[in-house]
Amino acid sequence: MPSRSRGLWVFAAFFLLLLCGGSAGFCLAADTIAIDVGSVYASNSGKEIDPSLVHIRGKLEYMFDYSSYRLLDRKRQRLSEGEKNDFELPDKRSMRIKVLFVDEKKVRLYVRIQEKEKKLLGTTLGLSRGGMVLVGGPVYESGVLIFLISAD
Amino acid sequence: MTIDCGAAKTLIEKRADGLLPPGAEKELDAHLSSCRECADEQSRSIAVGRLLRSGIDARAVSAQSGLDMMWTRVRAGIEEKKPIGGVLSRRSWTAFSAGAFALILFALLLYPAGPDQSPFNPKTFDVSVEDVESDIAVVTQLNMGEDLPRVIWIVEDAKS
Ligand SMILES: [Zn+2]
Repeated sequence: MPSRSRGLWVFAAFFLLLLCGGSAGFCLAADTIAIDVGSVYASNSGKEIDPSLVHIRGKLEYMFDYSSYRLLDRKRQRLSEGEKNDFELPDKRSMRIKVLFVDEKKVRLYVRIQEKEKKLLGTTLGLSRGGMVLVGGPVYESGVLIFLISAD
Repeated sequence: MTIDCGAAKTLIEKRADGLLPPGAEKELDAHLSSCRECADEQSRSIAVGRLLRSGIDARAVSAQSGLDMMWTRVRAGIEEKKPIGGVLSRRSWTAFSAGAFALILFALLLYPAGPDQSPFNPKTFDVSVEDVESDIAVVTQLNMGEDLPRVIWIVEDAKS
Protein backbone atom coordinates (compact mmCIF):
# COMPACT_ATOMS: atom_id res chain seq x y z
CA MET A 1 0.00 0.00 0.00
CA PRO A 2 1.49 3.37 -0.89
CA SER A 3 2.29 5.39 2.20
CA ARG A 4 0.04 8.28 1.27
CA SER A 5 -3.10 6.28 0.85
CA ARG A 6 -2.27 4.34 3.97
CA GLY A 7 -1.78 7.61 5.80
CA LEU A 8 -5.10 8.76 4.47
CA TRP A 9 -6.71 5.57 5.65
CA VAL A 10 -5.24 5.75 9.13
CA PHE A 11 -6.37 9.31 9.22
CA ALA A 12 -9.88 8.59 8.16
CA ALA A 13 -10.11 5.79 10.69
CA PHE A 14 -8.62 7.95 13.43
CA PHE A 15 -10.98 10.72 12.54
CA LEU A 16 -14.00 8.47 12.65
CA LEU A 17 -12.91 7.03 15.95
CA LEU A 18 -12.63 10.48 17.42
CA LEU A 19 -15.99 11.47 16.01
CA CYS A 20 -17.35 8.50 17.88
CA GLY A 21 -15.89 9.95 21.04
CA GLY A 22 -13.69 6.91 21.38
CA SER A 23 -16.54 4.96 22.85
CA ALA A 24 -19.27 2.95 21.31
CA GLY A 25 -21.91 4.94 23.16
CA PHE A 26 -21.64 7.99 20.99
CA CYS A 27 -22.11 6.11 17.76
CA LEU A 28 -25.33 4.55 18.86
CA ALA A 29 -28.55 5.28 17.18
CA ALA A 30 -31.61 5.48 19.39
CA ASP A 31 -32.69 1.97 18.45
CA THR A 32 -29.49 0.25 19.56
CA ILE A 33 -28.20 -0.16 23.06
CA ALA A 34 -24.77 -0.97 24.49
CA ILE A 35 -25.05 -3.80 26.96
CA ASP A 36 -22.21 -4.06 29.44
CA VAL A 37 -21.87 -7.19 31.58
CA GLY A 38 -19.24 -7.20 34.33
CA SER A 39 -18.51 -10.30 36.41
CA VAL A 40 -17.34 -9.40 39.89
CA TYR A 41 -15.92 -11.94 42.32
CA ALA A 42 -16.92 -10.91 45.83
CA SER A 43 -15.24 -12.62 48.75
CA ASN A 44 -13.78 -12.15 52.18
CA SER A 45 -10.27 -13.05 51.14
CA GLY A 46 -8.33 -9.83 50.97
CA LYS A 47 -9.45 -6.25 50.69
CA GLU A 48 -9.07 -5.62 47.00
CA ILE A 49 -11.56 -3.32 45.30
CA ASP A 50 -11.27 -3.23 41.54
CA PRO A 51 -10.56 0.30 40.24
CA SER A 52 -13.41 -0.02 37.76
CA LEU A 53 -15.82 -0.20 40.70
CA VAL A 54 -14.75 3.13 42.13
CA HIS A 55 -18.15 4.77 41.60
CA ILE A 56 -20.18 1.96 43.14
CA ARG A 57 -17.86 0.55 45.79
CA GLY A 58 -19.63 2.46 48.55
CA LYS A 59 -22.94 0.95 47.49
CA LEU A 60 -21.50 -2.55 47.20
CA GLU A 61 -19.93 -2.29 50.63
CA TYR A 62 -23.15 -0.99 52.08
CA MET A 63 -25.31 -3.70 50.54
CA PHE A 64 -23.08 -6.74 50.81
CA ASP A 65 -20.85 -8.16 53.45
CA TYR A 66 -17.70 -8.85 51.47
CA SER A 67 -14.30 -7.26 51.85
CA SER A 68 -12.97 -7.84 48.34
CA TYR A 69 -14.53 -7.10 44.95
CA ARG A 70 -12.53 -8.16 41.93
CA LEU A 71 -13.62 -7.70 38.31
CA LEU A 72 -13.02 -11.05 36.60
CA ASP A 73 -14.36 -10.21 33.21
CA ARG A 74 -16.29 -7.62 31.32
CA LYS A 75 -18.06 -7.92 28.03
CA ARG A 76 -19.82 -5.36 25.93
CA GLN A 77 -22.09 -5.70 22.98
CA ARG A 78 -24.21 -3.35 20.96
CA LEU A 79 -27.66 -4.72 20.28
CA SER A 80 -30.77 -3.47 18.59
CA GLU A 81 -34.36 -4.35 19.32
CA GLY A 82 -35.02 -8.04 18.73
CA GLU A 83 -31.34 -8.98 18.84
CA LYS A 84 -29.76 -11.24 21.42
CA ASN A 85 -26.25 -12.06 22.52
CA ASP A 86 -24.60 -14.71 24.65
CA PHE A 87 -22.17 -13.31 27.19
CA GLU A 88 -19.69 -15.81 28.50
CA LEU A 89 -19.51 -15.88 32.30
CA PRO A 90 -16.94 -17.41 34.65
CA ASP A 91 -17.29 -21.10 35.54
CA LYS A 92 -18.82 -22.10 32.20
CA ARG A 93 -22.01 -20.25 32.84
CA SER A 94 -23.42 -17.99 30.19
CA MET A 95 -25.82 -15.10 30.06
CA ARG A 96 -28.14 -14.58 27.14
CA ILE A 97 -29.58 -11.11 26.81
CA LYS A 98 -32.32 -10.32 24.37
CA VAL A 99 -33.44 -6.78 23.72
CA LEU A 100 -37.22 -6.81 23.74
CA PHE A 101 -37.70 -3.10 23.37
CA VAL A 102 -35.53 -0.02 23.15
CA ASP A 103 -36.12 3.70 22.73
CA GLU A 104 -34.24 6.88 23.74
CA LYS A 105 -35.12 6.49 27.39
CA LYS A 106 -35.87 2.90 28.22
CA VAL A 107 -34.87 -0.61 27.40
CA ARG A 108 -36.60 -3.89 28.16
CA LEU A 109 -34.41 -6.96 28.36
CA TYR A 110 -34.88 -10.66 28.80
CA VAL A 111 -31.91 -12.05 30.74
CA ARG A 112 -31.26 -15.75 31.06
CA ILE A 113 -28.35 -17.30 32.92
CA GLN A 114 -27.57 -20.81 31.92
CA GLU A 115 -25.64 -23.29 34.04
CA LYS A 116 -24.83 -26.46 32.16
CA GLU A 117 -28.18 -27.40 30.64
CA LYS A 118 -30.25 -25.74 33.33
CA LYS A 119 -31.79 -22.33 33.61
CA LEU A 120 -30.26 -20.69 36.66
CA LEU A 121 -32.22 -17.51 36.10
CA GLY A 122 -34.71 -16.10 33.67
CA THR A 123 -35.93 -12.56 34.17
CA THR A 124 -37.50 -9.70 32.28
CA LEU A 125 -36.18 -6.28 33.22
CA GLY A 126 -37.07 -2.72 32.38
CA LEU A 127 -34.16 -0.32 32.72
CA SER A 128 -33.68 3.35 32.08
CA ARG A 129 -30.85 4.00 29.65
CA GLY A 130 -27.70 4.45 31.66
CA GLY A 131 -29.14 2.21 34.34
CA MET A 132 -27.65 -0.78 36.10
CA VAL A 133 -28.98 -3.87 37.82
CA LEU A 134 -27.07 -6.46 39.84
CA VAL A 135 -27.52 -10.20 39.64
CA GLY A 136 -25.60 -12.11 42.27
CA GLY A 137 -25.33 -15.24 44.28
CA PRO A 138 -23.72 -18.00 42.22
CA VAL A 139 -20.97 -19.58 44.32
CA TYR A 140 -17.45 -19.00 43.02
CA GLU A 141 -14.25 -20.12 44.75
CA SER A 142 -14.55 -18.89 48.33
CA GLY A 143 -17.15 -16.25 47.57
CA VAL A 144 -19.87 -15.39 45.09
CA LEU A 145 -20.25 -13.82 41.69
CA ILE A 146 -22.07 -10.57 41.21
CA PHE A 147 -22.93 -9.60 37.65
CA LEU A 148 -23.30 -5.92 36.84
CA ILE A 149 -25.64 -5.46 33.92
CA SER A 150 -25.84 -2.00 32.42
CA ALA A 151 -27.59 -0.66 29.37
CA ASP A 152 -26.61 2.64 27.81
CA MET B 1 -13.99 -24.61 11.28
CA THR B 2 -13.07 -20.97 11.41
CA ILE B 3 -14.93 -17.76 12.16
CA ASP B 4 -16.28 -15.48 9.44
CA CYS B 5 -15.12 -11.97 8.57
CA GLY B 6 -17.87 -10.29 10.57
CA ALA B 7 -16.91 -12.15 13.72
CA ALA B 8 -13.23 -11.53 12.99
CA LYS B 9 -13.83 -7.79 12.77
CA THR B 10 -15.62 -7.77 16.11
CA LEU B 11 -12.66 -9.63 17.64
CA ILE B 12 -10.20 -7.21 16.03
CA GLU B 13 -12.02 -4.32 17.69
CA LYS B 14 -11.91 -6.14 20.99
CA ARG B 15 -8.20 -6.80 20.60
CA ALA B 16 -7.60 -3.13 19.86
CA ASP B 17 -9.49 -2.34 23.07
CA GLY B 18 -7.50 -4.94 24.98
CA LEU B 19 -10.68 -6.89 25.64
CA LEU B 20 -10.01 -9.98 23.58
CA PRO B 21 -10.71 -13.08 25.66
CA PRO B 22 -7.79 -15.52 25.68
CA GLY B 23 -9.94 -18.22 24.08
CA ALA B 24 -10.66 -16.06 21.05
CA GLU B 25 -7.01 -15.34 20.31
CA LYS B 26 -6.42 -18.57 18.38
CA GLU B 27 -9.66 -18.31 16.41
CA LEU B 28 -8.86 -14.78 15.34
CA ASP B 29 -5.26 -15.54 14.40
CA ALA B 30 -6.38 -18.56 12.42
CA HIS B 31 -8.77 -16.39 10.46
CA LEU B 32 -6.18 -13.63 9.94
CA SER B 33 -3.67 -16.09 8.55
CA SER B 34 -6.11 -17.03 5.84
CA CYS B 35 -7.90 -13.73 5.21
CA ARG B 36 -5.93 -10.87 3.77
CA GLU B 37 -8.71 -8.34 4.17
CA CYS B 38 -9.10 -8.93 7.90
CA ALA B 39 -5.32 -9.00 8.40
CA ASP B 40 -5.20 -5.52 6.81
CA GLU B 41 -8.07 -4.44 9.00
CA GLN B 42 -6.11 -5.51 12.06
CA SER B 43 -2.96 -3.65 11.03
CA ARG B 44 -5.04 -0.54 10.50
CA SER B 45 -6.69 -0.88 13.87
CA ILE B 46 -3.30 -1.37 15.54
CA ALA B 47 -1.91 1.65 13.70
CA VAL B 48 -4.83 3.77 14.83
CA GLY B 49 -4.46 2.55 18.41
CA ARG B 50 -0.78 3.40 18.36
CA LEU B 51 -1.40 6.82 16.87
CA LEU B 52 -4.01 7.48 19.51
CA ARG B 53 -1.78 6.33 22.35
CA SER B 54 1.15 8.33 21.09
CA GLY B 55 -1.19 11.29 20.81
CA ILE B 56 -2.35 10.90 24.39
CA ASP B 57 1.17 10.36 25.72
CA ALA B 58 2.36 13.38 23.85
CA ARG B 59 -0.44 15.38 25.38
CA ALA B 60 0.66 14.35 28.85
CA VAL B 61 4.18 15.59 28.26
CA SER B 62 3.56 18.42 25.90
CA ALA B 63 0.46 18.62 23.82
CA GLN B 64 1.89 21.13 21.42
CA SER B 65 5.14 19.41 20.52
CA GLY B 66 3.41 16.09 19.93
CA LEU B 67 0.87 17.61 17.62
CA ASP B 68 3.50 19.66 15.84
CA MET B 69 5.40 16.47 15.17
CA MET B 70 2.34 14.76 13.78
CA TRP B 71 1.48 17.77 11.71
CA THR B 72 5.01 17.91 10.29
CA ARG B 73 4.78 14.26 9.44
CA VAL B 74 1.50 14.77 7.64
CA ARG B 75 2.85 17.76 5.78
CA ALA B 76 5.92 15.77 4.81
CA GLY B 77 3.58 13.11 3.49
CA ILE B 78 1.76 15.68 1.39
CA GLU B 79 4.99 17.11 0.00
CA GLU B 80 6.35 13.70 -0.79
CA LYS B 81 3.51 12.72 -3.08
CA LYS B 82 2.33 15.86 -4.72
CA PRO B 83 -0.04 14.49 -7.32
CA ILE B 84 -2.98 13.45 -5.21
CA GLY B 85 -4.92 12.09 -8.15
CA GLY B 86 -8.49 12.55 -9.19
CA VAL B 87 -10.14 12.00 -5.85
CA LEU B 88 -8.68 14.85 -3.87
CA SER B 89 -6.96 17.95 -5.11
CA ARG B 90 -4.00 19.04 -3.07
CA ARG B 91 -5.97 21.96 -1.81
CA SER B 92 -8.91 19.98 -0.56
CA TRP B 93 -6.54 17.45 0.98
CA THR B 94 -4.83 20.25 2.87
CA ALA B 95 -8.17 21.62 3.95
CA PHE B 96 -9.25 18.16 5.03
CA SER B 97 -6.07 17.66 7.07
CA ALA B 98 -6.36 21.04 8.66
CA GLY B 99 -9.97 20.36 9.58
CA ALA B 100 -9.11 16.92 10.82
CA PHE B 101 -6.33 18.30 12.97
CA ALA B 102 -8.50 20.95 14.48
CA LEU B 103 -10.93 18.20 15.46
CA ILE B 104 -8.22 15.88 16.70
CA LEU B 105 -6.77 18.61 18.85
CA PHE B 106 -10.20 19.23 20.27
CA ALA B 107 -10.88 15.55 20.79
CA LEU B 108 -7.48 14.90 22.39
CA LEU B 109 -8.27 17.52 24.96
CA LEU B 110 -11.51 15.76 25.80
CA TYR B 111 -10.42 12.20 25.22
CA PRO B 112 -11.07 10.02 28.25
CA ALA B 113 -8.85 7.22 29.51
CA GLY B 114 -9.03 3.93 27.62
CA PRO B 115 -12.57 2.57 27.46
CA ASP B 116 -11.59 -0.88 28.74
CA GLN B 117 -10.62 0.33 32.22
CA SER B 118 -13.43 2.83 32.34
CA PRO B 119 -15.23 2.59 35.65
CA PHE B 120 -18.79 1.41 35.85
CA ASN B 121 -20.74 4.57 36.26
CA PRO B 122 -24.47 3.98 36.29
CA LYS B 123 -26.63 7.07 35.93
CA THR B 124 -29.63 5.46 37.55
CA PHE B 125 -30.76 2.37 39.42
CA ASP B 126 -34.30 2.71 38.16
CA VAL B 127 -35.15 -0.86 37.27
CA SER B 128 -38.38 -2.79 37.11
CA VAL B 129 -38.13 -6.53 37.50
CA GLU B 130 -41.15 -7.99 35.76
CA ASP B 131 -40.60 -11.63 36.61
CA VAL B 132 -37.95 -14.04 37.83
CA GLU B 133 -37.74 -17.79 37.50
CA SER B 134 -35.20 -20.54 37.92
CA ASP B 135 -35.09 -24.29 37.33
CA ILE B 136 -32.52 -24.99 40.01
CA ALA B 137 -32.30 -22.14 42.47
CA VAL B 138 -34.36 -19.88 44.66
CA VAL B 139 -34.31 -16.31 43.44
CA THR B 140 -35.00 -13.31 45.65
CA GLN B 141 -35.06 -9.62 44.95
CA LEU B 142 -33.51 -6.92 47.06
CA ASN B 143 -34.85 -3.44 46.75
CA MET B 144 -33.13 -1.12 49.18
CA GLY B 145 -34.26 2.17 47.72
CA GLU B 146 -33.70 4.31 44.65
CA ASP B 147 -30.17 5.24 45.59
CA LEU B 148 -29.02 1.65 45.67
CA PRO B 149 -28.87 -0.86 42.85
CA ARG B 150 -31.67 -3.36 42.53
CA VAL B 151 -30.33 -6.84 43.25
CA ILE B 152 -31.57 -10.18 41.99
CA TRP B 153 -30.02 -12.77 44.26
CA ILE B 154 -29.71 -16.42 43.29
CA VAL B 155 -29.50 -18.99 46.06
CA GLU B 156 -28.13 -22.14 44.50
CA ASP B 157 -28.89 -25.58 45.82
CA ALA B 158 -31.70 -24.21 47.92
CA LYS B 159 -34.15 -26.23 45.84
CA SER B 160 -32.39 -29.56 46.19
ZN1 LIG C 1 -11.90 -12.16 6.92
